[in-house]
Amino acid sequence: MQYMILIYEPAGAYAGSEGRTALEEVVAKHWALAAELTAQGIQKGGAGLQGVETATTLVRSRDGDTLHDGPFAETREHLGGYYLIDVPDLDAALAIARRVPGVAGTKIEVRPVIVHDQ
Amino acid sequence: MSRFGPLIHASRPRVVAALAARLRDLDLAEDAFSEACAAALTTWPGQPPRDPGAWLWRAALRRALDARRRAAVRERAVLDPPSPEPTPEEALMAHEPIPDERLRLIFVCCHPALAADTRAALTLKVVCGLSTERLARAFFCAEPAMLQRITRAKRKIAAAGVPFEVPGPAAWPERLEAVLTTLEVAYAQAYEDAALAGETAGFADEVLRLSGLLVELTPDEPEALGLAALVRFAEARRPARLDERGAMVPPERQDVALWRADVIADGVALLDRAARAGRSGPRQILAAIHASHCARIEGRPTPWADIARLYDALMVVRPTAATAVNRAVAIGEARGAAAGLAALADVEGMAGWLPYQAARAHLCALARRYGEAAEALGMALRLGPAPAERLYLEQRLRALEG
Repeated sequence: MQYMILIYEPAGAYAGSEGRTALEEVVAKHWALAAELTAQGIQKGGAGLQGVETATTLVRSRDGDTLHDGPFAETREHLGGYYLIDVPDLDAALAIARRVPGVAGTKIEVRPVIVHDQ
Repeated sequence: MSRFGPLIHASRPRVVAALAARLRDLDLAEDAFSEACAAALTTWPGQPPRDPGAWLWRAALRRALDARRRAAVRERAVLDPPSPEPTPEEALMAHEPIPDERLRLIFVCCHPALAADTRAALTLKVVCGLSTERLARAFFCAEPAMLQRITRAKRKIAAAGVPFEVPGPAAWPERLEAVLTTLEVAYAQAYEDAALAGETAGFADEVLRLSGLLVELTPDEPEALGLAALVRFAEARRPARLDERGAMVPPERQDVALWRADVIADGVALLDRAARAGRSGPRQILAAIHASHCARIEGRPTPWADIARLYDALMVVRPTAATAVNRAVAIGEARGAAAGLAALADVEGMAGWLPYQAARAHLCALARRYGEAAEALGMALRLGPAPAERLYLEQRLRALEG
């Protein structure tokens, strides 16, 4: 089964000089994990996202689309990146989710991906 | 229900667990079992099978595989090539033991990815076949809400890919609490019915076996040991729980000659092992309460003062209305009816719960408030007691009126 691992990080986690050090550490761990999962054929995709200040949101209504600056919801956590993995079951996906790096307050959501048979 | 009802209920856990493990689909397993039961009720009266469980397993598995094949054919809109597998008739003749997958199924239903308040109920529904109505009663919630919780959990198991496996030891602690709760509630349901008739037939044996298995898998977990001990103390007294008329007999009036000393000894050994771990918990305290009730087998009176103190301790770790009601009865026996009634007065909102009314009747009778005792018994009788308890409550009512 394919699972999406969505990483929600607390706002401001990487602000300031301490934050920059934390970011460097977390990114290094992501590289190591991604390299390992790719070598094992588990990882099918994944990326880190730039900060929410770079986000633009398109809101669709009956009258058409309008564009907004920022993410769709003002929350204390922001989607920071994701992994797309292919593993046998939820326990295997959760075992990988436990290894995803992140500062305290990070939330990691694991969801199965809809796969369409050809 | 036909005379085959108890046979069907008794084989359900093993058969549904085996089906679910094989098919990896809870709904399909349950549906196939229901269909096999319906077939059994028409087939068995003429020709009862030697092994009802094996009959149900084969009949249900055949129906499930047929259903799955039909669904696959519909999806692909082409016909299957001739199957090299045995025909359904041949499969029915074959001798195939039912694999024991009960613990595996319990672990699927107790997966931490499912809502914490649903795991035990789901397990009891799927493994033991408890009705939604009964589950709603056991977990103090409305029936439609219970149905919705169970449906959502089943859907998630299928869609999220919850594995049908007993997890490795590292995953045990996370799931153990739900597994223990499941077995505890299942046993409480069986215990409620002293005659072990009706829906809970077979539960007691089931929990006895599964709690033993759990101790084998987690030999150092004091609460698993406590639960296994608790079940053994209570089961040891089962032969004495009914009088010659089929009425329930409370522990303090049971004929101790009928108690099973060997099973009590097993319970004592398990509880000692739990105590050595040095970490108390609600099931160990409950086991200690049951152990105290067993004191009479050594010729000692029921130590109500000890039991009341144990309920005080239980109130700290499990401050539920059920604990409070039982504590009030123990206090009434240990320190007098007035103290017991005072403790019961602190329990609110439980007037529609049978054990509450039974406790109120008992304490009022102790206090010689016979009119109120009779009124409480009347209310208890209207709350749908199991047959053995009904007879007991009616006996007490007659004694009050006589």
